[in-house]
Formats: sequence, structure tokens, C-alpha cells
Amino acid sequence: MKTVYIKPENCIGCKHCEVACAVEHSETKNLYSAISEEPLPISKIHVMPTFGIMAYPGKCMHCDPTPCIQVCPSGAISRDKETDTILINEEKCIGCGMCAIVCPFSAVLFNPSWRVSVDRDVAHKCDNCFERITNDLIPACVEACKTGALGYGDINEIIREERRAVGKTAAQLAAAIPVEEKIPELLKVWRDLALSMSQVGEKK
Amino acid sequence: MIKEEFLERTIDSTARKSLEKADQDRIETVWDRLESQEPQCGYGLLGICCRNCAMGPCRIDPFGNNPTRGVCGADADTLVARNLARMIAAGAAAHSDHGRDIVEVLHLTALGKTSGYQITDEEKLKRIAGEYGINVDGRVKEEIAKELAEKAMDEYGMRKNTLQFAERAPEKRKEIWKNLGIWPRSIDREIVEIMHRTTMGVDADFVNILLQGLRVSLSDGWGGSMIATEFSDILFGTPTPKESFVNLGVLKEDTVNIIVHGHNPLMSEMVVDASRDAEIIKLAKQKGATGITLAGICCTANEILMRKGIPVAGNFLIQELAITTGAVDAMVVDYQCIMPSLVPIADCYQTKLITTSPKAKIKGATHIEFDPERAYEIGKEIVKEAIEAYGNRNPDRVNIPNHPVKMMAGFSAEAILGALGGTVQPLIDAIVAGKIRGIAAIVGCNNPKIKQDYGHVTLAKRLIENNVLVIQTGCSAIATGKAGLLVPEAADQAGEGLKEIANALGVPPILHMGSCVDISRILTVAAVIAKELNVDISDLPVAGAAPEWMTEKAVAIGAYVVASGIFTVLGPIPPVLGSANVTGLLTQGLGDVVGATFAVEPDPEKAAELIIKHIDEKRKALGLTTPPTGAS
Repeated sequence: MKTVYIKPENCIGCKHCEVACAVEHSETKNLYSAISEEPLPISKIHVMPTFGIMAYPGKCMHCDPTPCIQVCPSGAISRDKETDTILINEEKCIGCGMCAIVCPFSAVLFNPSWRVSVDRDVAHKCDNCFERITNDLIPACVEACKTGALGYGDINEIIREERRAVGKTAAQLAAAIPVEEKIPELLKVWRDLALSMSQVGEKK
Repeated sequence: MIKEEFLERTIDSTARKSLEKADQDRIETVWDRLESQEPQCGYGLLGICCRNCAMGPCRIDPFGNNPTRGVCGADADTLVARNLARMIAAGAAAHSDHGRDIVEVLHLTALGKTSGYQITDEEKLKRIAGEYGINVDGRVKEEIAKELAEKAMDEYGMRKNTLQFAERAPEKRKEIWKNLGIWPRSIDREIVEIMHRTTMGVDADFVNILLQGLRVSLSDGWGGSMIATEFSDILFGTPTPKESFVNLGVLKEDTVNIIVHGHNPLMSEMVVDASRDAEIIKLAKQKGATGITLAGICCTANEILMRKGIPVAGNFLIQELAITTGAVDAMVVDYQCIMPSLVPIADCYQTKLITTSPKAKIKGATHIEFDPERAYEIGKEIVKEAIEAYGNRNPDRVNIPNHPVKMMAGFSAEAILGALGGTVQPLIDAIVAGKIRGIAAIVGCNNPKIKQDYGHVTLAKRLIENNVLVIQTGCSAIATGKAGLLVPEAADQAGEGLKEIANALGVPPILHMGSCVDISRILTVAAVIAKELNVDISDLPVAGAAPEWMTEKAVAIGAYVVASGIFTVLGPIPPVLGSANVTGLLTQGLGDVVGATFAVEPDPEKAAELIIKHIDEKRKALGLTTPPTGAS
């Protein structure tokens, strides 16, 4: 099962993923024309401030079992078995908001869509860039992310990699071999300073 | 009860009340917009994006993976250095273009072609003319001023290849600049050269780029800014100590209220004069007002405060809140630090927002263009607009917070020397005796990323407690003014030694030296002290700080202060941390080259510790005893 995975420690809040997502889900799929489309395309990934300078790109995690499918009264939400992607049929969506209420990641937004003939708000959320992944391309947000905060791959393979890294660190620590830092020193300094800046003058 | 959220934004009590009013009136402010912008882009914050050609835009992965270079091959060091150099150039351009406008008006005034201006300080005119080698004997002031203005115009050109005011620096400092190849040749040339060097495919050596960055900054501090200061003094008078009031409480319910905001005194001086015109005051009274109240925001406030004692409504982050009092009939702006958001806010309160510079128009504002040949008439026209707007004021929406705070300003270099009896020797004696531990210049802006005024006020308090004489300019000085620290009585909050000196002279423990271009006054004083002691500026127990900086101008200032040999602590983080090499050069390497470095410390308590430690090290190197740390 391939999935978009998030490494929050690598997110620097540039929002490039948001722009790439909105363009990918626009009618024209072109930055320069997408910005004058009506309705305007929206991003389905949302980079939010957390604390200090840290940010987190939140999105649909394509759960299974899937609360939104279970509650959708109009049958607008379905799972594509091949790609394990939760998809919304916007024409069928009645904008009731049930999916948003049960979503554990608050990943559903309501907006107009160029796919819907009548002007009304329908549910928007990540579709794993369904068109791209079924054409051997990686999702637009992952392609746009240059800091490694977003990746795309087989979930078990990713976990295996992480486990290897954890094992290596543990072995190095046991053998008193210095562990190389994952985050460059200066970036840590930057984040510490930014956190300190955001707390200047706060009551201790 | 004021909402916790507003208490966290500022320590200015009048701002807190106005934030509450803005909230009730559903006015969006700078703090709301910062929230909408968060999280801000890490590439921008780290300085590792480049838009300088159409192969890009490019960015570098700060985690060290691909991409490590832009399309052209430039790495993080080059990108960060280029971006920083352009910030310095923009800041230098702003200060220097302000200086150019002053020089032009002095020239026109000398030719008798202006209305409202005169050569006010003839003594200073002759002194500055002397520096330029102009013969003053037996000549009328207009003739001298014309020649001086023309010489100053050459400072902006490419035939002279040296800046006169840089000669004011101590010999050792001048040697350093010459040996490094950063002696400023001309004001415009250095700025243009930065734009050239940082365009696609020119300078890729980060050290070389940053050296030019220092050179352009010197052409600001010892060039454009110094010209702005000195030539303004010739036109409008050299400041002398005077009392005034500060904060939004200076506005009055029953007068026509005019706020001047921006930087250049050329327009604001005319508005001051026009508001004192008997015919104009009569007009205001006919409209039912008891008179006209004029107050300033940002550095144009400091210019007219220093010379005319005009009250100050607030610093940078007060501009929107001032209008939300509902009591501002006209806000007259020239240029720099003017938020475009003023237009929709002014619309909500029948406030006339008047732009005056052809360089700074805002859509939706009323534009009454400044023209030196009709300056006084334009000043009157502007005040008449305000009187007209007073008639439309809705008293139900007026809420002026609190009472104003008393403050003292006007400490030009000449005024300080005057207070000391014509020589810096008493100041040196006090430093040698340890009564004054050292001198720290706290300058710069407000930045909504830091609780308003908290950085300036906390740092200033800690330093005076430890007998460090604080000198200030710009929005920073307005911050401590609002906090009640710019009065002689504030000496009670200083350490014993500083208190003794301040009381003896009858001055505050913190001296307000003027606007942002007036940081040149600080350089002048530092040079005088260093020369008196026959040492370099970098040998002195002095430091600089910009606890809440925000503009590119502040970057230029930081660069020339460090290039002049003064250790400088920044509050907000400059966009350089994307390059370890550039960061290393700025925070360490420069020490070996220009004898001073930058430090970044957002917490003013810790910044105070850094500054005191630095001052004590410099004292030790000069063979002076070091007073014990901690408040006395």
C-alpha cells in the first residue's frame, strides 16, 4: 500500500505543497491560468503553524476503516481498492458535513468545485492525486516538497527504513559511537531562536 | 478588562485600549495579518530562495539534501549573501534618497526658490562647509549653502570617489576600511554595484558579496544618513534638549488632530508651521475646534520632536491604532514604514489619509504632492483638509485612551557636547571611573513578532540598572519614552553611578538622539570619543542593539554599525541561517576583520547580559576596572 507520509521535523512551512495541490486539482492544471479560474481551486493539504516556527502539513490520511464512508448519507465517498485511496464523488456530495464531523484529522473542507455543474459547496479533501498515481507519477505535494517533509511510498517499506535508522542509532549509542544529527545544527539554532522570539515577554 | 490576547501583543497601555476598540469596530490590524501569514515560508526566513533570474525561482534544501544549488549553480552561501546584500542596498537607498531630498531643498533654498524654508543654523552650515573645504569667510549663507549642497550632490555621483563624512572616523578605522577595500566611493555607486553584483551570473563569492554589503552600508551611515541629519540641522536647526509628551493620549477630543507619519522632515516641518498659522487656527475655531493638535508617528515624529518639541502619538505599530481612536482628522504621510492598510482603516473613521511624496502613493488615499517651491502653501492646504475632516468627525466613535507621558528629547551630538561643557572628557572620565560602565545604542523598529516595546524597554531598563548609558533613536526611543524612561526622574531606575551623572547633568539616563538617520549622530559621537582616546571605535566599551527590528533599513544600519566597529545584538532573526558560512562570518569572522560582530538574541534579558559582558571585556582590554555584574 503506497501512501503520502509526513515528517513534521522536516517541514519549514513554505506552503509549496499547498500551491502544487491547488494547481493539480484545478481545471486547467496550470499555475498561471489556475489563479484566475472560477471557482478558484483550493489546496487539500493545509500547512498550519504549531509552536515557535514549527509547522505541520495536515491532510486526509485515507483511513481504513473509514469513518467518512460509514456516515456519508449520499454514498458520495468510496475507496479505490487498487490504490487504497478514499475518493469523493463531488456530484453526489450533498454538502451535509457529516464526513467533516467524524474525520479524525479535520481534513475535509467545503468549497465550490469546477467539477460540479451547480454552484454549491461540496466536500474537498486529499485524493492522493488519483490521476497522477494511476499514471505512475507521485502526488503533486510530494513532488513540490524539497525538504523531505512529505514522501510517497509503501508504508511497510517506510517503516522498515525508519526501523533500520532506529536500530543503527541504538547500536551506535551502545558502542559509544557518535550519532550523526538528523537535523543540521543551524536549523536547530534557528528553531530555538524562533521559539524564544515567540515567547518574548510572556508570563513565565 | 482587556483581553489576554491584546495584553500579549504590546506593553503600551494606550495601544492595548485601542486594540480593544479596533476589535469592537472589527478593524483588522498588523497582528491579525501576521497570524494569517503563519506559518511563514522557511526558505524566506532562512534566506535560501532566489528570484533573481527566470531560470528560477530556486531554493536550497536546508536539511542538506537535494537541491543544494540553484539552476545556475549558486549554493546556499551565495544565495544568502546575495539576498542580504540586496537588503542592505535597499536600506541604504531609503536613507540616502531621504538625504538627497534634503540636499535638493537646501540647494533650492540657497537659490531662493523655495517657500517656507530657510537656513536656520548658520553656525552649523559654516562648520559643515569647513569640513568640505569651502571658503566661508565674508560670504553670505546662501552662497555657502549653494556650494555645500552642490558638493553634497557629488557625494552621490562617480567623479569624486570618496565620501567626505567618512573622514570623521578615527584613523585606525579608516585604515581598516581602506585595507579591506570597503572605503565607500559614492552613495549611489555602491547601491548600484550591489544590484549589479547580485544579478544573475556576477558575484558568487559570499565573502566578496558581503564585503560590498559592508561598503554600501558605510555609504549609508557615513554618507546618506549623515547627510540627511546634518543638512536637516542646517535647514531646520540643530536639536537641543526639550520636553514633550508621548502616546495616543496626546490627541485631544476638542481639537483638530493631525498626525504626521513617515521619515522626512521636509513636509512635516511645513505642516507644523502651517498648523501654527493664525489664519489657519482661526479657521479651525470657526469649525468649532478649540485649536489644532499636531502629533507624529515614526521618524518624522522624531524629527519634529527633536527640533520643535512636537508630541509623539507612537511608534511603528501605533499607526493603525491611532486612526481607530476615531479622533484623527488627517494622517499626513511622506515615505517609509507607511502601512498600505491605513487606507481601509481611515475609511472607517472619516480620517483623511494624505500622501505627499511622488515616491509613495497609496491607492485610495488623497494625494497632495509635495513641492518645495510651494511647500508652505501645500502645508496650509493639508491642514485645511484636516479642518474640513474635523467637521465630519463622529463623536460617538471617538475614544482617546489614557493620559500622555512626559518625555525629553533633542540630544544631538552638539547638545550632548554642550551639556558636557564642550568636550567629551567628562564622559570619558565617568567611564574611566566606572560610574558609566559603557554606552549602548538601542535603535530600530517595532515588529509584531515581538511584544511591542517589550524588547526595547526591558533591554534599556536592564542596561541602565547596570550603569550602561543608553542612547536611542527611532521607534526604539519612542518605546522607552512611552514607558516613562526619557525623563530625568528615570535616573532613579539607573545604577548608582549612572544616576549620579544623569542627576548632575539634569538629563534622563537614556538620551533620545533622534530619527533613524540620526544614528549618524551616534557614529559622530563614537568617533569623537575614540579620537579623544586615540583608539579605534572597536576598542570602546560600547554596543548596539535592535531588539524589535523589521525593515531593510535596519539591516543597513546593523551592517554599518558593525563595520564601524560596534558589536550589535539583533532581536528578530535575520534571514541568514540557511548558510552556515555566512552566519559564521557575521557572528564570528567579522570580528577578525572589522573588530565587531553580530549576535542574535530575541530575549532582551539575555541580550542585556551579552551587551554587559561585551562592555566589560572592552573595559578590561582598555585596562579599566570592571564593575561587578548585577543591578546596583
